[in-house]
Amino acid sequence: MIDRELTMSRAIVEAIGDEMRANDEVFYMGEDVADYGGIFDSTQGLLEEFGYDRIMDVPISETAYLGAAVGAAQQGMRPIAELMFVDFFGVAMDQIYNQMAKNTYMSGSGVSVPMVLTTAVGGTYSDAAQHSQALYGTFAHLPGMKVVVPSTAYDAKGLLHNAIRDDDPVVYMYHKRLMGLGWLPAPEGPKTPVPEEEYTIPFGKADVKREGADATVVTLGLHVHRALDAADALAEEGIDAEVIDLRTLVPLDRETVIGSVEKTGRLVVVDEDYRSFGLTGEIVSSVADEALASLDAVERVAMPDVPIPYARELETEVMPSTGDIEAAVRNVQ
Amino acid sequence: MSEDDRVAVVADGEWTDDVDEEEGVVVNWFAKSGRRVTAGESICEVQVEKVSIDVPAPVDGELVEIVRAEDDEFTIGDTLAWVRPEG
Repeated sequence: MIDRELTMSRAIVEAIGDEMRANDEVFYMGEDVADYGGIFDSTQGLLEEFGYDRIMDVPISETAYLGAAVGAAQQGMRPIAELMFVDFFGVAMDQIYNQMAKNTYMSGSGVSVPMVLTTAVGGTYSDAAQHSQALYGTFAHLPGMKVVVPSTAYDAKGLLHNAIRDDDPVVYMYHKRLMGLGWLPAPEGPKTPVPEEEYTIPFGKADVKREGADATVVTLGLHVHRALDAADALAEEGIDAEVIDLRTLVPLDRETVIGSVEKTGRLVVVDEDYRSFGLTGEIVSSVADEALASLDAVERVAMPDVPIPYARELETEVMPSTGDIEAAVRNVQ
Repeated sequence: MSEDDRVAVVADGEWTDDVDEEEGVVVNWFAKSGRRVTAGESICEVQVEKVSIDVPAPVDGELVEIVRAEDDEFTIGDTLAWVRPEG
């Protein structure tokens, strides 16, 4: 039996629709999510089924509507609130960092905040420094929020079902380049077979997307596909790379990473987010803490600490490429 | 079963009234050749004048041939694929 395939955006829409049908407390709010269907197609077609009461366009005030989502969640609803670009989080930082993330703790578990903050991340399409960031580390750094970053349609659907059912706040970061849009074509890989029935993928379980014996490549999001392309190229040179897709940053599956490094002895961490104070340093230090004797060589491949350029050639230069990953894996051999 | 029994998946529909362009591009296939499809199910996404349009399967059956692959251009009325109806 050959399965139906879906783009990541359609897998996301399917999970939202299933949860909204199953639970009247689930609703979606954000900028251009109703009539427009989400500027990255995250809500395409949902307005027709659920209407404006449950697929809500909001005024351009992230503080107001993210705060409203926190309040609705505390009152027992299950809001999904979309931040159009993750880069805009700054204008609602207090609602995200101090209210959404901390109200359960501050109230002594008097309230829970079962909301999902969905947001579009990533570059590669000349949208400049204020619309191209990944910011994975910014959200994973602060306690109180789970952080999910899917790389395929299959993972996107299962992780989103899990996110909406979670009783605590979840930040769900989807990469624009993976959504499968006509104007922003995806690479090979994110469009996958997707079961029509619902299913969940638990948080904190990394997925070994490719097994290998010679190096451990740890990454997430778009760069899962670049790492897989690099691994295919390296295989022709006789280098067998393992590719681990973290899928969630909080909780972080350190065990799978450490187990892999104990096998390969060589670690390459690839991140579209900035190099300093981020994912690459966190993964390397986690492995050093637990398995220093196994760690023969290490490389970090990440966005340099600069604003992401608008000019296509310059953006391509700073963005970790398949070739950069190949070179790093060769370096640790 | 002869070739003539196959039903064409055609790039046509009510949406053609809303566009001026005659040409478009195939963006996504949601089915591979050999898959069972259901009449009305969205099996393909095309883009005309930056508008995305879903193309439904015309009948229940098996998708036997994709004529226009992803990124291929087409003219309205072209055959995008063939479905062999359930016998």
